[in-house]
Amino acid sequence: MIKIENLWVELNGNLILEDISLEIKKGEIVAIVGPNGGGKTTLIRTILGFVKPAKGRVLIDGKEPKDYIKSGKVGYLPQKSSYERDFPVSALDVVMFGLVEVKISKKEKEKKALEVLRYVGMESFKDKPFGKLSGGQQQRVMIARAIISQPELLILDEPSTGVDVVAQESFYEFIKKLNQEKGITVLMITHDIGAVGSFVHKVVGLNKKLHYFGDFKDFLQKSNVDKLYGSEVKLLIHSPECFTCQYFNVEVKKH
Amino acid sequence: MSLSDFFTIPFLVNALVGGVLIAILLSVLSLFVFVKKWSFINIGISHAAFGGLAIGFFLGVNPTITGSLFAILVGVLIGYISKKGQIHEDISIGILLSFSMALGVVVMSFSNNYNSDLFAFLFGNILTITQQDIIMILVFSAISLSFLLYNLERIMYCCFDEELAYISKVNTKFFYYSLITVIAIATVLSIKLVGSVLSSAMIILPAAVSSQLFWKYKSIILASIFISVVVVFTGIVVSFQYNLPSGSTIVIIYSLIFFIVILVKRLFIR
Repeated sequence: MIKIENLWVELNGNLILEDISLEIKKGEIVAIVGPNGGGKTTLIRTILGFVKPAKGRVLIDGKEPKDYIKSGKVGYLPQKSSYERDFPVSALDVVMFGLVEVKISKKEKEKKALEVLRYVGMESFKDKPFGKLSGGQQQRVMIARAIISQPELLILDEPSTGVDVVAQESFYEFIKKLNQEKGITVLMITHDIGAVGSFVHKVVGLNKKLHYFGDFKDFLQKSNVDKLYGSEVKLLIHSPECFTCQYFNVEVKKH
Repeated sequence: MSLSDFFTIPFLVNALVGGVLIAILLSVLSLFVFVKKWSFINIGISHAAFGGLAIGFFLGVNPTITGSLFAILVGVLIGYISKKGQIHEDISIGILLSFSMALGVVVMSFSNNYNSDLFAFLFGNILTITQQDIIMILVFSAISLSFLLYNLERIMYCCFDEELAYISKVNTKFFYYSLITVIAIATVLSIKLVGSVLSSAMIILPAAVSSQLFWKYKSIILASIFISVVVVFTGIVVSFQYNLPSGSTIVIIYSLIFFIVILVKRLFIR
């Protein structure tokens, strides 16, 4: 689905990404992890065509990012903790924005928007001002907007930013459900390696260079984590006895 | 003088019709100025037009044409510099405003005498609106309002988040530059008729007032149009009745309404 070949990216004369090559298959959930400033957001923005590579290329389904985006098959959730509180739109307006270029009647758009709002558990907030919703509620509305056009590829930049623990757990459950039910390929930047470990298919360990690309289980080998974050970092992985996991009924496969 | 007598005086009828037309156009644009936080753009473009007007007067070309072209050019440059330099529009406006004003003053210094027409054009007079002016603003308003209202959701999506709109296949560059161009032309047309101070007030205050009362963008547009038309109408009638400058009277009424709305909201609603 996504093929990255010898990608080099520079921003304002600084080398951000160095010789990245990887391939993400259709239907996979891939987590991009790494320290701050390691180029995770730049990688996503290059995949979306917002940043031009200095060398190398990105192909999505064999097409340049800009051409693939024109097909309307991408859903994107940017890294943003909150939008302008006084922006005069309702949650329903925001979700309907996702269909602005789709040639169907306004009534049909509204019906679809209500369906996805129900899917993310936000239907009762449809007429509330978007800016006044909590971080987690805004995030759910934004994901509803991202999936309303039935994308084949969903790109999420730190989806749990500004979301409390309860909302985080159910958010990840929701991503898993979306992938399983609709077969959507998901690429997400996250710092919650432990929380996403139970359901991601692959992990991209990025710190300017590609330090790791493979299964989550192998990623946990000490040498991989050390290489990516430095030797001082300890990973906290949830266990089956973990109170939070039991309380929220989170399935934990790997410890 | 009774209200019905107003409609027997041709220049007052022109002022009322022209003023109401400008009020409608600028109050719709005020929503975008409000959500994009572009309150400086109208002042920037009106001052930028000064450079174009001065060149027109100096070269003996119709200053409306040179002023409009200069304003559109500056409007597009504001967008281009902001996009390429990744800086807020207010900073680009500040730079281009100073440059255009300086250019206007230098060009004027080559002229032999003080050009009163230039200042009349810049500061405007609503009571001097002609039927030709009304036709011009009517045609421009009809075209630009049809465009803005037909693409309202697309433009609002761009204002909400340009990158997300781009991902949803919206031609974001086209709408960004179209919006700036419409604001630039509307500014030049309105400063000729109502002056730069009133023009700025008419593009900032409608949405600023109505957003205190409503939170949905369609309600803000409707309330802005209603408030604007009432204020302009009242302002012209009151200023003529009490022999006051019409532009200033309208700005004062607008500002008073804004402060009253804020005060009432603070005291009774929250």
